[in-house]
Amino acid sequence: MTEHTTDRILPDRILIIEDDAETAAAVAAAVRDLGCTPVHRDTLDDGVAEAALGGYRVIVLDRMLPGGDGVEAMARIRAGGSGALILILSALGRAAQRVEGLEKGADDYLPKPFEPEELRARLRALLRRGTMQVLDNDLMAFGDLEIRLKARTVHVKLTHVPVSPKEFELITYFARHSGQTVTRMQLLENVWNLHFDPGTNVVDVHVGRLRRKLEEAGSHAIQTARGEGYVFAPLPGAG
Amino acid sequence: MAAAVAALAMLAMGLQYRLVETRLMQAQRALLTADLDGFAALYDQRRIIAVREAIALRAASGADEMLLLMDRQGGVLAGTLPGWPEGLARQGGGFTIDPAQEIIRDGHRWLAVARELPGGFPLLLGRSLQPVDDTLADLRRGMLGLLLAVLLAAGGTGWLAARWVMARIGRVNALADRVAGGDLSARLPGPRAPDEFGLLETHVHAMLDRIENLNRATHHLSDTIAHELRTPLNRMVQRLARLEGQEEEVGALKAEMRQAIRMFDALLDISRAEADQGGGGLVPVDLSSVAAEVWELYEPLAEDKGLLPRAEVASGLQVLGDRTLIAQVVANLLDNAIKYCGPGDSLALTVATEGGRHVLRLADSGPGLPAGLREEAFDRFTRADRDRARGIKGHGLGLALVRAIAARHGARLILPQTARGLTVELAFPVLAEGGV
Repeated sequence: MTEHTTDRILPDRILIIEDDAETAAAVAAAVRDLGCTPVHRDTLDDGVAEAALGGYRVIVLDRMLPGGDGVEAMARIRAGGSGALILILSALGRAAQRVEGLEKGADDYLPKPFEPEELRARLRALLRRGTMQVLDNDLMAFGDLEIRLKARTVHVKLTHVPVSPKEFELITYFARHSGQTVTRMQLLENVWNLHFDPGTNVVDVHVGRLRRKLEEAGSHAIQTARGEGYVFAPLPGAG
Repeated sequence: MAAAVAALAMLAMGLQYRLVETRLMQAQRALLTADLDGFAALYDQRRIIAVREAIALRAASGADEMLLLMDRQGGVLAGTLPGWPEGLARQGGGFTIDPAQEIIRDGHRWLAVARELPGGFPLLLGRSLQPVDDTLADLRRGMLGLLLAVLLAAGGTGWLAARWVMARIGRVNALADRVAGGDLSARLPGPRAPDEFGLLETHVHAMLDRIENLNRATHHLSDTIAHELRTPLNRMVQRLARLEGQEEEVGALKAEMRQAIRMFDALLDISRAEADQGGGGLVPVDLSSVAAEVWELYEPLAEDKGLLPRAEVASGLQVLGDRTLIAQVVANLLDNAIKYCGPGDSLALTVATEGGRHVLRLADSGPGLPAGLREEAFDRFTRADRDRARGIKGHGLGLALVRAIAARHGARLILPQTARGLTVELAFPVLAEGGV
């Protein structure tokens, strides 16, 4: 959390490579919501050149652009020396295309049309990933909630909370994104490795079970975020 | 065909045989007649004495002949026989050929005339029919051989012709099977023969080209529509997000839009899975673990709804596939089953190897498919009237996607008849050990 101070002094810059003005404006709005500075380029070549100048934390990249496919351009962006995380935002949003994008090096892939909350959650996760310190031990502690990664156990107030293997993965993902809104889609993609929208509340049932177990043990770490997902906020006032 | 040819050949040979037999008998008769004429002439000159001398002379020559002249008391005057053959009747007293009779002696046939010359002298003249019989036997053997040859040739020719025709038809049949299996781009290799079969193949190819083009155009259109609609939809979603107040209205609109987007996505997925049929792009996938993962995702939902979920998944069953698509199929089937089943209904997932295929089976004890919907349940936009009546939400694309993905994987989609509920089976081809 020490990063926050430097963040405020020098806002993170996010490069948007997108040819549709309306979409670019929506992305820019989301970027500003996060307190970052958006820079917009509307052709692939301009975007790749801008990325090479450096200083970007995240690049939001469209696929069908004047000048080529964003997925193919990722190698050029990397070759230009940019270490930015790449979020592909594309109308080519089917599962196979998403998997292809991720396999070719994208850090996240969001299909259009997207909801601003979803984009914000994704961008926040990427920004967080950029600063997250490598955990050098296997304990994640949030006040009286403790997660032991090697033993795969969860304790609340020193009481063991029995969780299923999937629930453990779920709470670990929440813990890694503590304080952020996490969407159902993010959970499906990262915890279940499923890249399609099942269209039912399957995820809610799992989160609900985990949440009840934690609540019975006295922790209200998981809360519903208005509209779009969940927030893991184990410490009052954190996040 | 072969039998008719053989029968005709047999008839022709039979006629030939009769003719030869008749001619040979006539020749023997003619020879016997000549003998009789000779003896008649001698008899005219010096009666019995001349005949006796002639017979003695002939008998001495050792020729294989039947000659016998006897006296009134039954003594042999001259001849090749020791006595009158038993039971042989004497017919008439002249030297004419008729009546002649066939007798058996020394194991073969003779054409003989038995007479009693004036004064009571029995006379027997006969010619062996052995040469005739030998010739006929040879002829019969020859004919039998020929008949066998004709039968073999006719059968062989028929078999070859049938095989050739069947092979040509088989090619077209195999092509039809591949097309029916979803590979619209399947064609027959090699040049067309300049005959009716070649023409048939050309016609089938022209037909397939047309179907394939129409199909491609349809897919392209649905892809384009879905993609082009995403841009305005995206703008709508963005503007909706900027609206302040009227939370309820905005929420409802968002939900509607999400539903519409899901429908486009499902259509896109279906057309993509259909367009990719027969193509590559599949990799070895652990069917068991994908099924188990998706099951694990849906099981709590089923439990919460009061169903009795049960899974039996054999581990490590590999198929050639697309992990996401297989996960989507299992998710769609589970989603569908959970949607229709009520508290107390059972829901069983089985993954096992059966009959040389990896079979994924989901059986529920819910309401099953309405009568008359079995055939079309997997068509796009098929929804039972009772769903609308009961307010069950859906766009009627879930099972259509299941069918498209099954076809993409070469898996057979089967709906076994069950007493209760709905059972859906997907039988995947087994991935050969270590092969891709």
